[in-house]
Amino acid sequence: MKRKKSNSLLGMAFFGPALVLLTVFLFIPMILTLVFSFTDFFALNPGLTHFVGFENYINIFQDELFLQSFFNTVKFVLIIVPCQSLGALGLALLINRVTICKKYFKVAFFVPVVMSLAVVSTLWMQIYSPEGILNTLLGNLGIAAQPFIHSAKQALPSIALMSVWQGVGYQMIIFLGGLQAINPALYEAAEMDHASGWQKFKDITLPELKPLCVFVFITVTIGAFRMIVQPMVMTGGGPSHSTYTMVYNIYETGTVNWEIGIASTMAIVFAIFVMILTVIQSILTRDKEEKKHVNKKTKNL
Amino acid sequence: MLTKRQKTFNYILAAVLLVLSLFFLFPVIWMLANSFKGDAAITADMNTVSAFIPPALNGSFFENYVSILTNTSFLRYMANTLFYAAVLIVLGIVVNGLAGYALAKIKFPFRERWVLVILLLQIVPMETIITIHFLMIAKMGLLNTIVGYILPMIVNPFNIFLFRQVFLSLPDDVYEAAQLDFCSPIKYFFTMVLPMSKTVVATVSVFTFLGVWNDYLWPSLVFTSSDLLTAQIGLNSITANENTTMGQTLAVITLVTIPVIIIYSLFSKQIVEGVTSTGSKEG
Repeated sequence: MKRKKSNSLLGMAFFGPALVLLTVFLFIPMILTLVFSFTDFFALNPGLTHFVGFENYINIFQDELFLQSFFNTVKFVLIIVPCQSLGALGLALLINRVTICKKYFKVAFFVPVVMSLAVVSTLWMQIYSPEGILNTLLGNLGIAAQPFIHSAKQALPSIALMSVWQGVGYQMIIFLGGLQAINPALYEAAEMDHASGWQKFKDITLPELKPLCVFVFITVTIGAFRMIVQPMVMTGGGPSHSTYTMVYNIYETGTVNWEIGIASTMAIVFAIFVMILTVIQSILTRDKEEKKHVNKKTKNL
Repeated sequence: MLTKRQKTFNYILAAVLLVLSLFFLFPVIWMLANSFKGDAAITADMNTVSAFIPPALNGSFFENYVSILTNTSFLRYMANTLFYAAVLIVLGIVVNGLAGYALAKIKFPFRERWVLVILLLQIVPMETIITIHFLMIAKMGLLNTIVGYILPMIVNPFNIFLFRQVFLSLPDDVYEAAQLDFCSPIKYFFTMVLPMSKTVVATVSVFTFLGVWNDYLWPSLVFTSSDLLTAQIGLNSITANENTTMGQTLAVITLVTIPVIIIYSLFSKQIVEGVTSTGSKEG
Protein backbone atom coordinates (compact mmCIF):
# COMPACT_ATOMS: atom_id res chain seq x y z
CA MET A 1 0.00 0.00 0.00
CA LYS A 2 2.75 2.36 1.02
CA ARG A 3 4.75 1.53 -2.08
CA LYS A 4 1.83 2.21 -4.37
CA LYS A 5 1.29 5.62 -2.83
CA SER A 6 4.90 6.65 -3.23
CA ASN A 7 4.83 5.45 -6.84
CA SER A 8 1.87 7.62 -7.73
CA LEU A 9 3.63 10.56 -6.11
CA LEU A 10 6.79 9.76 -8.00
CA GLY A 11 4.81 9.36 -11.23
CA MET A 12 3.32 12.79 -10.78
CA ALA A 13 6.71 14.29 -9.96
CA PHE A 14 8.05 12.96 -13.27
CA PHE A 15 4.93 13.48 -15.38
CA GLY A 16 3.78 16.67 -13.62
CA PRO A 17 5.83 19.32 -15.45
CA ALA A 18 4.78 17.94 -18.82
CA LEU A 19 1.18 17.63 -17.65
CA VAL A 20 1.03 21.29 -16.58
CA LEU A 21 2.41 22.45 -19.92
CA LEU A 22 0.19 20.05 -21.86
CA THR A 23 -2.82 21.41 -20.00
CA VAL A 24 -1.98 25.08 -20.45
CA PHE A 25 -0.71 24.91 -24.05
CA LEU A 26 -2.62 22.02 -25.58
CA PHE A 27 -5.76 20.96 -23.69
CA ILE A 28 -7.00 24.44 -22.75
CA PRO A 29 -6.30 25.94 -26.22
CA MET A 30 -8.08 23.00 -27.86
CA ILE A 31 -11.13 23.41 -25.61
CA LEU A 32 -11.08 27.20 -26.05
CA THR A 33 -10.91 26.84 -29.84
CA LEU A 34 -13.94 24.58 -29.76
CA VAL A 35 -15.87 26.88 -27.38
CA PHE A 36 -14.94 30.08 -29.24
CA SER A 37 -16.01 28.53 -32.55
CA PHE A 38 -19.62 28.84 -31.32
CA THR A 39 -19.25 32.51 -30.32
CA ASP A 40 -18.70 35.87 -31.97
CA PHE A 41 -15.67 36.53 -29.73
CA PHE A 42 -13.83 39.64 -30.93
CA ALA A 43 -10.62 40.03 -28.93
CA LEU A 44 -10.61 43.85 -29.12
CA ASN A 45 -14.07 43.96 -27.53
CA PRO A 46 -14.44 40.80 -25.45
CA GLY A 47 -17.35 42.25 -23.42
CA LEU A 48 -19.72 41.88 -26.36
CA THR A 49 -19.26 38.15 -26.83
CA HIS A 50 -22.38 36.07 -27.50
CA PHE A 51 -23.02 32.42 -27.96
CA VAL A 52 -24.13 32.06 -31.58
CA GLY A 53 -24.57 28.32 -32.00
CA PHE A 54 -23.67 27.00 -35.42
CA GLU A 55 -23.97 30.44 -37.04
CA ASN A 56 -20.20 30.71 -37.70
CA TYR A 57 -20.13 27.28 -39.29
CA ILE A 58 -22.97 28.28 -41.65
CA ASN A 59 -21.48 31.71 -42.31
CA ILE A 60 -17.96 30.63 -43.25
CA PHE A 61 -19.31 28.29 -45.91
CA GLN A 62 -21.11 31.29 -47.43
CA ASP A 63 -18.06 33.52 -47.08
CA GLU A 64 -16.42 33.95 -50.48
CA LEU A 65 -12.94 34.47 -49.06
CA PHE A 66 -13.14 31.33 -46.92
CA LEU A 67 -14.39 29.30 -49.87
CA GLN A 68 -11.61 30.71 -52.03
CA SER A 69 -8.97 29.90 -49.41
CA PHE A 70 -10.46 26.41 -49.14
CA PHE A 71 -10.40 25.78 -52.89
CA ASN A 72 -6.89 27.26 -53.19
CA THR A 73 -5.76 24.77 -50.54
CA VAL A 74 -7.44 21.95 -52.47
CA LYS A 75 -5.65 23.12 -55.66
CA PHE A 76 -2.32 23.10 -53.83
CA VAL A 77 -3.04 19.56 -52.65
CA LEU A 78 -4.07 18.42 -56.14
CA ILE A 79 -0.84 19.68 -57.71
CA ILE A 80 1.61 18.86 -54.91
CA VAL A 81 0.46 15.37 -53.90
CA PRO A 82 0.79 13.54 -57.26
CA CYS A 83 3.92 15.44 -58.36
CA GLN A 84 5.75 15.00 -55.07
CA SER A 85 4.73 11.38 -54.38
CA LEU A 86 5.34 10.11 -57.92
CA GLY A 87 8.47 12.23 -58.32
CA ALA A 88 9.89 10.83 -55.10
CA LEU A 89 9.03 7.26 -56.12
CA GLY A 90 10.59 7.75 -59.59
CA LEU A 91 13.78 9.24 -58.17
CA ALA A 92 14.04 6.49 -55.57
CA LEU A 93 13.63 3.78 -58.22
CA LEU A 94 16.33 5.33 -60.41
CA ILE A 95 18.76 5.97 -57.57
CA ASN A 96 18.18 2.49 -56.19
CA ARG A 97 19.32 1.00 -59.53
CA VAL A 98 22.35 3.20 -60.16
CA THR A 99 25.71 2.08 -58.79
CA ILE A 100 27.88 5.02 -59.88
CA CYS A 101 27.89 8.10 -57.61
CA LYS A 102 24.88 6.77 -55.67
CA LYS A 103 25.74 8.86 -52.64
CA TYR A 104 26.01 12.08 -54.67
CA PHE A 105 22.53 11.55 -56.13
CA LYS A 106 21.01 10.90 -52.71
CA VAL A 107 22.51 14.12 -51.36
CA ALA A 108 21.77 16.20 -54.49
CA PHE A 109 18.02 15.62 -54.40
CA PHE A 110 17.95 16.05 -50.63
CA VAL A 111 19.60 19.51 -50.63
CA PRO A 112 16.37 21.58 -50.81
CA VAL A 113 14.93 19.65 -47.85
CA VAL A 114 17.69 21.12 -45.71
CA MET A 115 16.71 24.69 -46.61
CA SER A 116 13.99 26.38 -44.56
CA LEU A 117 10.63 27.48 -45.97
CA ALA A 118 11.63 31.14 -45.64
CA VAL A 119 14.95 30.55 -47.43
CA VAL A 120 13.40 28.61 -50.29
CA SER A 121 10.63 31.19 -50.68
CA THR A 122 13.11 34.07 -50.74
CA LEU A 123 15.34 32.26 -53.24
CA TRP A 124 12.47 31.42 -55.59
CA MET A 125 11.17 34.99 -55.47
CA GLN A 126 14.45 35.82 -57.24
CA ILE A 127 14.21 32.79 -59.54
CA TYR A 128 10.64 33.66 -60.51
CA SER A 129 11.26 37.41 -60.88
CA PRO A 130 10.22 38.88 -64.29
CA GLU A 131 13.84 39.42 -65.37
CA GLY A 132 15.06 36.51 -63.29
CA ILE A 133 17.13 33.50 -64.15
CA LEU A 134 14.19 31.23 -64.96
CA ASN A 135 12.74 33.65 -67.52
CA THR A 136 16.23 34.08 -68.99
CA LEU A 137 16.62 30.31 -69.33
CA LEU A 138 13.15 30.01 -70.85
CA GLY A 139 13.97 32.91 -73.20
CA ASN A 140 16.93 30.92 -74.54
CA LEU A 141 14.51 28.12 -75.35
CA GLY A 142 12.30 30.61 -77.22
CA ILE A 143 9.60 30.81 -74.54
CA ALA A 144 8.18 34.26 -73.77
CA ALA A 145 8.70 35.69 -70.28
CA GLN A 146 6.15 34.41 -67.77
CA PRO A 147 4.76 36.45 -64.84
CA PHE A 148 4.88 33.45 -62.43
CA ILE A 149 4.05 34.63 -58.88
CA HIS A 150 2.95 38.05 -60.16
CA SER A 151 -0.17 36.80 -61.91
CA ALA A 152 -3.31 35.43 -60.31
CA LYS A 153 -3.30 32.58 -62.80
CA GLN A 154 0.28 31.35 -62.38
CA ALA A 155 1.04 32.20 -58.75
CA LEU A 156 -0.53 29.09 -57.22
CA PRO A 157 1.02 26.52 -59.60
CA SER A 158 4.39 28.33 -59.30
CA ILE A 159 4.37 28.09 -55.50
CA ALA A 160 3.11 24.49 -55.68
CA LEU A 161 5.96 23.43 -57.98
CA MET A 162 8.49 25.17 -55.76
CA SER A 163 7.05 23.27 -52.80
CA VAL A 164 7.39 19.97 -54.71
CA TRP A 165 11.00 20.88 -55.50
CA GLN A 166 11.69 21.45 -51.84
CA GLY A 167 9.91 18.39 -50.47
CA VAL A 168 10.52 15.63 -53.00
CA GLY A 169 13.92 14.60 -51.58
CA TYR A 170 12.44 13.78 -48.18
CA GLN A 171 9.95 11.25 -49.55
CA MET A 172 12.66 9.95 -51.91
CA ILE A 173 14.72 8.93 -48.86
CA ILE A 174 11.67 7.21 -47.34
CA PHE A 175 11.06 5.27 -50.57
CA LEU A 176 14.75 4.34 -50.84
CA GLY A 177 14.54 2.91 -47.32
CA GLY A 178 11.49 0.91 -48.39
CA LEU A 179 13.16 -0.37 -51.57
CA GLN A 180 16.19 -1.53 -49.65
CA ALA A 181 13.97 -3.39 -47.22
CA ILE A 182 12.46 -5.58 -49.97
CA ASN A 183 13.73 -9.13 -49.72
CA PRO A 184 16.17 -9.71 -52.66
CA ALA A 185 15.07 -13.36 -52.76
CA LEU A 186 11.79 -12.20 -54.30
CA TYR A 187 13.65 -10.72 -57.28
CA GLU A 188 15.92 -13.76 -57.57
CA ALA A 189 12.88 -16.01 -57.70
CA ALA A 190 11.29 -13.79 -60.36
CA GLU A 191 14.50 -13.89 -62.42
CA MET A 192 14.42 -17.67 -62.38
CA ASP A 193 10.96 -17.41 -63.89
CA HIS A 194 12.37 -15.03 -66.56
CA ALA A 195 10.14 -12.16 -65.43
CA SER A 196 10.62 -8.89 -67.35
CA GLY A 197 11.69 -5.70 -65.59
CA TRP A 198 8.14 -4.34 -65.77
CA GLN A 199 6.67 -7.54 -64.37
CA LYS A 200 9.11 -7.43 -61.47
CA PHE A 201 8.18 -3.81 -60.78
CA LYS A 202 4.43 -4.48 -61.03
CA ASP A 203 4.34 -7.76 -59.10
CA ILE A 204 7.08 -7.29 -56.50
CA THR A 205 8.20 -3.67 -56.05
CA LEU A 206 4.78 -1.98 -56.10
CA PRO A 207 2.95 -4.42 -53.79
CA GLU A 208 5.88 -4.38 -51.35
CA LEU A 209 5.94 -0.57 -51.36
CA LYS A 210 2.17 -0.16 -51.12
CA PRO A 211 1.97 0.58 -47.37
CA LEU A 212 4.76 3.09 -47.74
CA CYS A 213 2.96 4.70 -50.70
CA VAL A 214 -0.14 5.20 -48.57
CA PHE A 215 1.98 6.72 -45.82
CA VAL A 216 3.80 9.10 -48.19
CA PHE A 217 0.61 10.02 -50.03
CA ILE A 218 -1.19 11.06 -46.85
CA THR A 219 1.76 12.82 -45.20
CA VAL A 220 2.25 14.88 -48.35
CA THR A 221 -1.48 15.64 -48.44
CA ILE A 222 -1.46 16.81 -44.82
CA GLY A 223 1.67 18.87 -45.49
CA ALA A 224 0.09 20.55 -48.51
CA PHE A 225 -3.07 21.21 -46.49
CA ARG A 226 -0.99 23.16 -43.98
CA MET A 227 0.55 25.47 -46.60
CA ILE A 228 1.03 29.03 -45.32
CA VAL A 229 4.65 30.23 -45.08
CA GLN A 230 5.44 30.17 -48.81
CA PRO A 231 2.50 32.38 -49.89
CA MET A 232 3.03 34.55 -46.81
CA VAL A 233 6.63 35.30 -47.78
CA MET A 234 6.24 35.34 -51.56
CA THR A 235 2.85 36.80 -52.44
CA GLY A 236 1.06 37.81 -49.23
CA GLY A 237 -1.74 35.50 -50.39
CA GLY A 238 -2.19 37.41 -53.65
CA PRO A 239 -2.47 38.39 -56.43
CA SER A 240 -6.21 38.84 -55.76
CA HIS A 241 -6.18 36.13 -53.06
CA SER A 242 -5.14 33.48 -55.59
CA THR A 243 -2.62 31.93 -53.15
CA TYR A 244 -4.58 32.56 -49.94
CA THR A 245 -4.77 29.23 -48.09
CA MET A 246 -6.95 27.96 -45.23
CA VAL A 247 -4.25 28.28 -42.60
CA TYR A 248 -3.37 31.74 -43.90
CA ASN A 249 -7.02 32.70 -43.50
CA ILE A 250 -7.12 31.33 -39.93
CA TYR A 251 -3.91 33.19 -39.12
CA GLU A 252 -5.07 36.55 -40.48
CA THR A 253 -8.61 36.32 -39.10
CA GLY A 254 -7.30 35.44 -35.65
CA THR A 255 -4.09 37.38 -35.18
CA VAL A 256 -4.50 40.37 -37.50
CA ASN A 257 -8.27 41.01 -37.35
CA TRP A 258 -8.63 39.55 -33.82
CA GLU A 259 -11.87 37.80 -34.85
CA ILE A 260 -11.15 34.83 -32.61
CA GLY A 261 -14.68 33.38 -32.94
CA ILE A 262 -14.58 33.02 -36.72
CA ALA A 263 -10.91 32.02 -36.71
CA SER A 264 -11.70 29.23 -34.24
CA THR A 265 -14.52 27.96 -36.45
CA MET A 266 -12.17 27.85 -39.44
CA ALA A 267 -9.54 26.13 -37.30
CA ILE A 268 -12.02 23.45 -36.23
CA VAL A 269 -13.05 22.83 -39.85
CA PHE A 270 -9.37 22.64 -40.83
CA ALA A 271 -8.54 20.30 -37.94
CA ILE A 272 -11.42 18.00 -38.89
CA PHE A 273 -10.04 17.66 -42.41
CA VAL A 274 -6.52 16.94 -41.19
CA MET A 275 -7.67 14.49 -38.53
CA ILE A 276 -9.86 12.60 -41.03
CA LEU A 277 -6.78 12.22 -43.25
CA THR A 278 -4.69 11.03 -40.31
CA VAL A 279 -7.31 8.49 -39.27
CA ILE A 280 -7.61 7.21 -42.86
CA GLN A 281 -3.84 6.85 -42.91
CA SER A 282 -3.65 4.87 -39.70
CA ILE A 283 -6.56 2.62 -40.76
CA LEU A 284 -5.07 1.92 -44.18
CA THR A 285 -1.57 1.25 -42.93
CA ARG A 286 -2.67 -0.79 -39.92
CA ASP A 287 -4.86 -2.88 -42.20
CA LYS A 288 -1.85 -3.64 -44.38
CA GLU A 289 0.30 -4.60 -41.44
CA GLU A 290 -2.34 -6.95 -40.10
CA LYS A 291 -2.68 -8.58 -43.51
CA LYS A 292 1.08 -8.99 -43.70
CA HIS A 293 0.97 -10.51 -40.26
CA VAL A 294 -1.77 -12.92 -41.27
CA ASN A 295 0.16 -13.82 -44.41
CA LYS A 296 3.24 -14.58 -42.38
CA LYS A 297 1.21 -16.67 -39.99
CA THR A 298 -0.42 -18.70 -42.74
CA LYS A 299 2.98 -19.19 -44.34
CA ASN A 300 4.35 -20.48 -41.08
CA LEU A 301 1.50 -22.96 -40.85
CA MET B 1 29.34 -10.02 -62.06
CA LEU B 2 27.71 -7.40 -64.19
CA THR B 3 27.19 -8.23 -67.82
CA LYS B 4 28.29 -5.72 -70.44
CA ARG B 5 24.69 -4.74 -71.10
CA GLN B 6 24.10 -4.04 -67.43
CA LYS B 7 27.26 -1.95 -67.31
CA THR B 8 26.18 0.24 -70.25
CA PHE B 9 22.72 0.56 -68.67
CA ASN B 10 24.36 1.71 -65.46
CA TYR B 11 26.38 4.40 -67.24
CA ILE B 12 23.34 5.68 -69.12
CA LEU B 13 21.31 5.74 -65.91
CA ALA B 14 24.04 7.66 -64.10
CA ALA B 15 24.26 10.15 -66.98
CA VAL B 16 20.49 10.70 -66.98
CA LEU B 17 20.49 11.20 -63.21
CA LEU B 18 23.43 13.59 -63.44
CA VAL B 19 21.64 15.82 -65.95
CA LEU B 20 18.46 15.59 -63.88
CA SER B 21 20.29 16.54 -60.69
CA LEU B 22 21.93 19.55 -62.35
CA PHE B 23 18.55 20.81 -63.57
CA PHE B 24 17.12 20.12 -60.14
CA LEU B 25 19.88 22.00 -58.35
CA PHE B 26 20.07 24.99 -60.70
CA PRO B 27 18.41 27.36 -58.17
CA VAL B 28 20.92 26.36 -55.48
CA ILE B 29 23.93 26.61 -57.82
CA TRP B 30 22.72 30.01 -59.01
CA MET B 31 22.23 31.14 -55.40
CA LEU B 32 25.76 30.14 -54.35
CA ALA B 33 27.49 31.50 -57.44
CA ASN B 34 25.73 34.87 -57.35
CA SER B 35 25.98 35.41 -53.62
CA PHE B 36 29.57 36.48 -54.35
CA LYS B 37 28.60 39.04 -57.03
CA GLY B 38 27.41 42.63 -57.12
CA ASP B 39 24.02 43.30 -58.68
CA ALA B 40 25.54 44.66 -61.90
CA ALA B 41 27.49 41.43 -62.39
CA ILE B 42 24.44 39.30 -61.58
CA THR B 43 22.39 41.05 -64.27
CA ALA B 44 25.27 41.01 -66.77
CA ASP B 45 25.90 37.28 -66.25
CA MET B 46 22.24 36.33 -66.37
CA ASN B 47 22.19 35.32 -70.03
CA THR B 48 25.51 33.44 -70.05
CA VAL B 49 26.93 30.34 -68.43
CA SER B 50 28.67 32.62 -65.91
CA ALA B 51 25.31 32.90 -64.15
CA PHE B 52 26.19 29.55 -62.60
CA ILE B 53 29.87 30.21 -61.97
CA PRO B 54 31.24 32.22 -59.04
CA PRO B 55 33.35 35.27 -59.94
CA ALA B 56 37.15 35.25 -59.84
CA LEU B 57 38.58 35.36 -56.33
CA ASN B 58 39.49 38.97 -55.66
CA GLY B 59 39.23 41.61 -52.93
CA SER B 60 35.48 42.02 -53.24
CA PHE B 61 34.72 38.28 -53.35
CA PHE B 62 33.13 38.15 -49.90
CA GLU B 63 31.74 41.70 -50.04
CA ASN B 64 28.06 40.65 -49.76
CA TYR B 65 28.80 38.39 -46.82
CA VAL B 66 30.93 41.00 -45.07
CA SER B 67 28.29 43.70 -45.46
CA ILE B 68 25.56 41.38 -44.16
CA LEU B 69 27.63 40.41 -41.14
CA THR B 70 28.78 43.94 -40.34
CA ASN B 71 25.97 46.27 -41.48
CA THR B 72 22.94 44.32 -40.33
CA SER B 73 21.94 42.62 -37.07
CA PHE B 74 22.19 39.27 -38.78
CA LEU B 75 24.81 37.80 -36.42
CA ARG B 76 22.62 38.84 -33.53
CA TYR B 77 19.63 36.98 -35.04
CA MET B 78 21.79 33.89 -35.53
CA ALA B 79 22.99 34.08 -31.91
CA ASN B 80 19.40 34.59 -30.67
CA THR B 81 18.22 31.50 -32.52
CA LEU B 82 21.12 29.39 -31.23
CA PHE B 83 20.30 30.52 -27.71
CA TYR B 84 16.57 29.72 -28.07
CA ALA B 85 17.44 26.34 -29.56
CA ALA B 86 19.84 25.53 -26.69
CA VAL B 87 17.25 26.48 -24.04
CA LEU B 88 14.51 24.49 -25.78
CA ILE B 89 16.75 21.44 -26.19
CA VAL B 90 17.59 21.39 -22.47
CA LEU B 91 14.05 22.10 -21.24
CA GLY B 92 12.56 19.76 -23.84
CA ILE B 93 14.79 16.86 -22.80
CA VAL B 94 14.07 17.42 -19.10
CA VAL B 95 10.28 17.86 -19.39
CA ASN B 96 9.56 15.36 -22.17
CA GLY B 97 12.22 12.92 -20.97
CA LEU B 98 10.86 12.83 -17.40
CA ALA B 99 7.34 12.38 -18.73
CA GLY B 100 8.46 9.62 -21.08
CA TYR B 101 10.19 7.86 -18.22
CA ALA B 102 7.10 8.09 -16.02
CA LEU B 103 4.96 6.64 -18.81
CA ALA B 104 7.44 3.83 -19.41
CA LYS B 105 8.60 2.74 -15.96
CA ILE B 106 6.68 4.27 -13.06
CA LYS B 107 3.32 2.79 -12.16
CA PHE B 108 0.93 5.62 -11.44
CA PRO B 109 -2.85 5.97 -11.79
CA PHE B 110 -4.24 6.15 -15.34
CA ARG B 111 -0.79 5.66 -16.88
CA GLU B 112 -2.07 3.71 -19.89
CA ARG B 113 -4.78 6.33 -20.47
CA TRP B 114 -2.12 9.03 -20.56
CA VAL B 115 -0.10 7.07 -23.10
CA LEU B 116 -3.19 6.96 -25.32
CA VAL B 117 -3.79 10.71 -24.84
CA ILE B 118 -0.19 11.50 -25.78
CA LEU B 119 -0.55 9.33 -28.87
CA LEU B 120 -3.80 11.04 -29.89
CA LEU B 121 -2.38 14.55 -29.32
CA GLN B 122 0.05 13.95 -32.17
CA ILE B 123 -2.73 14.11 -34.75
CA VAL B 124 -3.85 17.61 -33.73
CA PRO B 125 -2.40 20.10 -36.22
CA MET B 126 -0.65 22.92 -34.33
CA GLU B 127 -2.04 25.51 -36.74
CA THR B 128 -5.43 24.96 -35.12
CA ILE B 129 -4.42 26.41 -31.78
CA ILE B 130 -1.81 28.96 -32.85
CA THR B 131 -4.39 31.77 -32.62
CA ILE B 132 -5.21 30.81 -29.03
CA HIS B 133 -1.50 30.55 -28.16
CA PHE B 134 -1.04 34.04 -29.51
CA LEU B 135 -4.05 35.31 -27.53
CA MET B 136 -2.82 33.62 -24.32
CA ILE B 137 0.71 34.95 -24.64
CA ALA B 138 -0.68 38.42 -25.39
CA LYS B 139 -3.00 38.28 -22.33
CA MET B 140 -0.09 37.18 -20.12
CA GLY B 141 1.80 40.25 -21.33
CA LEU B 142 4.51 38.02 -22.76
CA LEU B 143 4.41 39.16 -26.39
CA ASN B 144 7.84 40.08 -27.65
CA THR B 145 9.59 38.27 -24.79
CA ILE B 146 11.81 35.21 -24.87
CA VAL B 147 9.66 33.50 -22.22
CA GLY B 148 6.52 34.03 -24.31
CA TYR B 149 8.23 32.52 -27.31
CA ILE B 150 9.64 29.51 -25.49
CA LEU B 151 6.83 28.50 -23.09
CA PRO B 152 4.38 26.93 -25.60
CA MET B 153 7.17 25.10 -27.41
CA ILE B 154 8.67 23.08 -24.52
CA VAL B 155 6.25 20.20 -24.26
CA ASN B 156 6.06 17.93 -27.30
CA PRO B 157 3.80 14.85 -27.35
CA PHE B 158 5.84 13.30 -30.14
CA ASN B 159 9.06 13.53 -28.12
CA ILE B 160 7.35 12.24 -24.96
CA PHE B 161 6.24 9.21 -26.91
CA LEU B 162 9.68 8.74 -28.46
CA PHE B 163 11.34 8.84 -25.02
CA ARG B 164 8.76 6.39 -23.65
CA GLN B 165 9.39 3.88 -26.43
CA VAL B 166 13.14 3.96 -25.79
CA PHE B 167 12.87 3.87 -21.98
CA LEU B 168 10.54 0.86 -22.17
CA SER B 169 13.51 -1.27 -23.18
CA LEU B 170 15.66 -0.19 -20.22
CA PRO B 171 16.18 -2.95 -17.62
CA ASP B 172 14.11 -2.64 -14.43
CA ASP B 173 16.73 -4.14 -12.14
CA VAL B 174 19.12 -1.22 -12.56
CA TYR B 175 16.38 1.06 -11.28
CA GLU B 176 15.78 -1.19 -8.29
CA ALA B 177 19.51 -1.38 -7.55
CA ALA B 178 19.66 2.40 -7.63
CA GLN B 179 16.76 2.53 -5.15
CA LEU B 180 18.69 0.31 -2.72
CA ASP B 181 21.66 2.57 -3.15
CA PHE B 182 19.50 5.45 -1.84
CA CYS B 183 19.89 7.14 -5.16
CA SER B 184 17.02 9.59 -5.52
CA PRO B 185 14.83 8.88 -8.55
CA ILE B 186 15.47 12.32 -10.11
CA LYS B 187 19.22 11.93 -9.65
CA TYR B 188 18.98 8.40 -11.05
CA PHE B 189 17.19 9.76 -14.12
CA PHE B 190 19.87 12.35 -14.89
CA THR B 191 22.94 10.27 -13.99
CA MET B 192 21.83 6.87 -15.28
CA VAL B 193 18.80 6.95 -17.59
CA LEU B 194 19.79 9.84 -19.86
CA PRO B 195 23.43 8.75 -20.28
CA MET B 196 22.19 5.24 -21.12
CA SER B 197 19.94 6.64 -23.85
CA LYS B 198 22.34 8.85 -25.78
CA THR B 199 20.82 8.00 -29.15
CA VAL B 200 17.32 9.23 -28.37
CA VAL B 201 18.71 12.29 -26.59
CA ALA B 202 20.73 13.10 -29.71
CA THR B 203 17.76 12.52 -32.00
CA VAL B 204 15.46 14.76 -29.95
CA SER B 205 18.16 17.45 -29.74
CA VAL B 206 18.78 17.45 -33.48
CA PHE B 207 15.10 17.61 -34.36
CA THR B 208 14.47 20.31 -31.75
CA PHE B 209 17.32 22.36 -33.18
CA LEU B 210 16.04 21.99 -36.74
CA GLY B 211 12.50 22.83 -35.62
CA VAL B 212 13.57 26.00 -33.81
CA TRP B 213 15.99 27.05 -36.55
CA ASN B 214 13.47 26.65 -39.38
CA ASP B 215 10.30 27.77 -37.58
CA TYR B 216 8.62 30.77 -39.12
CA LEU B 217 5.00 31.20 -38.02
CA TRP B 218 5.30 31.27 -34.22
CA PRO B 219 8.37 33.57 -33.94
CA SER B 220 6.84 35.89 -36.55
CA LEU B 221 3.79 36.24 -34.26
CA VAL B 222 5.60 36.63 -30.94
CA PHE B 223 8.53 38.83 -31.86
CA THR B 224 8.21 42.40 -33.04
CA SER B 225 11.39 43.87 -31.58
CA SER B 226 14.37 43.52 -33.86
CA ASP B 227 16.61 42.63 -30.91
CA LEU B 228 14.89 39.32 -30.31
CA LEU B 229 14.18 38.11 -33.87
CA THR B 230 15.16 34.62 -34.96
CA ALA B 231 17.31 34.08 -38.05
CA GLN B 232 14.33 33.23 -40.29
CA ILE B 233 12.35 36.34 -39.30
CA GLY B 234 15.49 38.48 -39.36
CA LEU B 235 16.26 37.23 -42.84
CA ASN B 236 12.85 38.41 -43.92
CA SER B 237 13.32 41.85 -42.42
CA ILE B 238 16.75 42.19 -44.05
CA THR B 239 15.61 41.15 -47.53
CA ALA B 240 12.49 43.34 -47.27
CA ASN B 241 14.75 46.38 -46.79
CA GLU B 242 14.98 48.35 -50.03
CA ASN B 243 18.71 48.94 -49.65
CA THR B 244 19.49 45.23 -49.64
CA THR B 245 20.89 44.15 -53.00
CA MET B 246 20.08 40.89 -54.75
CA GLY B 247 23.59 39.60 -54.06
CA GLN B 248 23.21 40.37 -50.37
CA THR B 249 19.83 38.61 -50.31
CA LEU B 250 21.46 35.50 -51.74
CA ALA B 251 24.29 35.80 -49.20
CA VAL B 252 21.82 36.01 -46.27
CA ILE B 253 19.88 32.93 -47.29
CA THR B 254 23.14 31.03 -47.77
CA LEU B 255 24.29 32.07 -44.29
CA VAL B 256 20.99 30.99 -42.70
CA THR B 257 21.36 27.56 -44.29
CA ILE B 258 24.97 26.92 -43.19
CA PRO B 259 24.23 25.85 -39.57
CA VAL B 260 21.58 23.42 -40.84
CA ILE B 261 24.04 21.94 -43.32
CA ILE B 262 26.56 21.47 -40.50
CA ILE B 263 23.93 19.70 -38.37
CA TYR B 264 22.88 17.49 -41.28
CA SER B 265 26.44 16.49 -42.13
CA LEU B 266 27.28 15.73 -38.48
CA PHE B 267 24.09 13.79 -37.79
CA SER B 268 23.11 12.56 -41.25
CA LYS B 269 22.94 8.97 -40.06
CA GLN B 270 20.53 9.72 -37.19
CA ILE B 271 18.42 12.01 -39.35
CA VAL B 272 18.10 9.60 -42.27
CA GLU B 273 17.37 6.78 -39.84
CA GLY B 274 14.76 8.98 -38.21
CA VAL B 275 13.20 9.80 -41.58
CA THR B 276 13.12 6.22 -42.83
CA SER B 277 12.02 4.76 -39.49
CA THR B 278 9.03 7.12 -39.21
CA GLY B 279 8.20 5.91 -42.69
CA SER B 280 8.49 2.21 -42.03
CA LYS B 281 7.14 2.37 -38.49
CA GLU B 282 3.91 4.03 -39.51
CA GLY B 283 3.79 2.57 -42.98
